[in-house]
Amino acid sequence: MTDSTARVATVERERVNWSVVRVMLGRDLGAIVRSKALILPMLALPLVLLVLLPAAIGLAANGKQLRVERFVDMLPSALAAPVMAHPPQERLVILVLGYLVAPLFLIVPLMISAVTAADTFAGEKERRTLETLLHLPVRDRDLYIAKLLGGFIPATAVAWSGFVIFAVISNIVCWPVMHRLFLPTWLWMIVILWLAPAVAAIGLGIMVRVSIRVNNTQEAQQLGGAVVLPLVILAVGQTTGLLLAGPKVAFGAGIVLWAIAIWLNIRGARAYARDTMATRL
Amino acid sequence: MGEPAIICDGLTRDFPSGRALDGLTIDVQPGEVLALLGPNGAGKTTTIRLLNGVLVPDSGTATVLGMDPWRQGNELRARTGVLTENAGLDERFTALENLVVMARLRGIDADVARRKAGDLLERFGMGHRADVKVQGFSTGQRKRVALARALLHEPDLLFLDEPTSGLDPAATRDVVDLIGSLAAEQGRTVVLCTHFLGEAGKLANRMAVLFQGKLHAFGTPAELARGLWTGTEVRLDLDVPAPDALLSSLGALSMVIQAVPTPNGVVVRVADRDAVPVVVATCVAAGAPVYAVNPHDPSLEDVYFEIEARAGAVALPEEP
Ligand SMILES: Nc1ncnc2c1ncn2[C@@H]1O[C@H](COP(=O)(O)OP(=O)(O)OP(=O)(O)O)[C@@H](O)[C@H]1O
Ligand SMILES: [Mg+2]
Repeated sequence: MTDSTARVATVERERVNWSVVRVMLGRDLGAIVRSKALILPMLALPLVLLVLLPAAIGLAANGKQLRVERFVDMLPSALAAPVMAHPPQERLVILVLGYLVAPLFLIVPLMISAVTAADTFAGEKERRTLETLLHLPVRDRDLYIAKLLGGFIPATAVAWSGFVIFAVISNIVCWPVMHRLFLPTWLWMIVILWLAPAVAAIGLGIMVRVSIRVNNTQEAQQLGGAVVLPLVILAVGQTTGLLLAGPKVAFGAGIVLWAIAIWLNIRGARAYARDTMATRL
Repeated sequence: MGEPAIICDGLTRDFPSGRALDGLTIDVQPGEVLALLGPNGAGKTTTIRLLNGVLVPDSGTATVLGMDPWRQGNELRARTGVLTENAGLDERFTALENLVVMARLRGIDADVARRKAGDLLERFGMGHRADVKVQGFSTGQRKRVALARALLHEPDLLFLDEPTSGLDPAATRDVVDLIGSLAAEQGRTVVLCTHFLGEAGKLANRMAVLFQGKLHAFGTPAELARGLWTGTEVRLDLDVPAPDALLSSLGALSMVIQAVPTPNGVVVRVADRDAVPVVVATCVAAGAPVYAVNPHDPSLEDVYFEIEARAGAVALPEEP
């Protein structure tokens, strides 16, 4: 048995077949784009968080002076300082759009990767297409990578394009108060480019494995809701504090998140085996 | 004939629910059509999954197209085509899209894939629905598309898992004809799982009969019949059931193995052909007019049900 395991392992170390990955991805992403049932809930949260919220804040800041000092005073002085450094009329915008939305924003990639990942293997089982895939000359690892990217790409794409929309709306609506382009900030750049993909990868690392174990997407989402949602709340709570502590700390948090993400996904890929999948058909 | 397309020895696989396949030892020659017969849960689908390297056995060995299915699985699967029990088409896509994706996952160029898929759908009478979403397709239409999918890459070995289940008689005949032509062309080897004997009888060179994971018989229908019964069966039409007196005088003949009355005469099992005139003479001498004498070669059905009956007799003590 040791001998055969070793031989299988050498075979698996061959290069990734990107053309297989690309075709699988094309199929899965094509299906997502066509499915209104998947697209609409995926876009609802980004819409509220990234379009409606900045519009509302901008309007509020334009109108009566909304005082945020009392809220900021409750924060430790080191965290309050970056906000208080701005002129009073800018503080609401800076506090909410510059800082508070950022950690909430991380829910977007997490949620989208979780929703798409729930569908990866459970969806194939539910649609009864898994067996056909197992009978293909496609290496386990290539299929697994395609499935991971199938969750990662939409999550990151929505997060990034959502941020662009968010930044444009925020800058326009807040122009009368700010008189400059205040977004993106360094902090936001780190959140978008460094933390958001890491969070998406964590969502995948958990949900793909859930998806392998259950029989349909709904079950995966229910189970995922029990695992991922508490994690979201925890993560958001923790990151809020970290983000206010500045870009460096945020970057450091990203390293931790990436380490977790990579660990989860490597473990997942190792655990994935054709025989196990065929047993659960 | 060269080396066999499939050789397997002692193939065994357990699931938590029990042993699905128990020491399967068979061989399939290139260009041969092998029927894997057996009732629900006999282990047919498990056999296909094992031989195509999708499941790993708990013990036993196999060589398929000269390869080890578990170490060279992807190389092997590049040369096999599988029609799974449920067609496994993606309902969100059209028939053509389903085929093209699978062809491209097999490394076929997009243009070539589209052309081949189009040709095959046309050939299987699905050309007019190529660009329709699979969602509304009937079972028969799905089977045809899935069969086309199994052939896209011109495999040397085809595994067909219940290709006609759920089809109406006309569609069954079409699919059986189709499979027949597939087997005939290019010396393609076919493993056909079924519990319908009609299609097995029409298509298969040899049959392997599985019950509860165990191989109970393996060979051509004639070989199996020889193993099951000695001698030949002759049906005599006497217009009325054979009277007891006649039965006992037939039974007294040394070359008669068995004589069983039927509603219109008697079925006599004789050691060889030379016994037939003697049997007829005995009937006539007993005052029974003989209207017809028909030697009866056992059909696949006869063979199968006899094996099933004997296997059932073996298996019965296990049942509560
Ligand atoms: N993944 C699995 N997990 C648990 N038991 C299984 C699994 N696959 C097959 N079995 C069991 O193994 C036995 C053989 O199953 P298999 O599907 O090979 O039978 P089959 O001959 O194809 O039957 P059918 O004619 O119903 O398709 C059955 O008792 C089945 O319940
Ligand atoms: Mg089966």
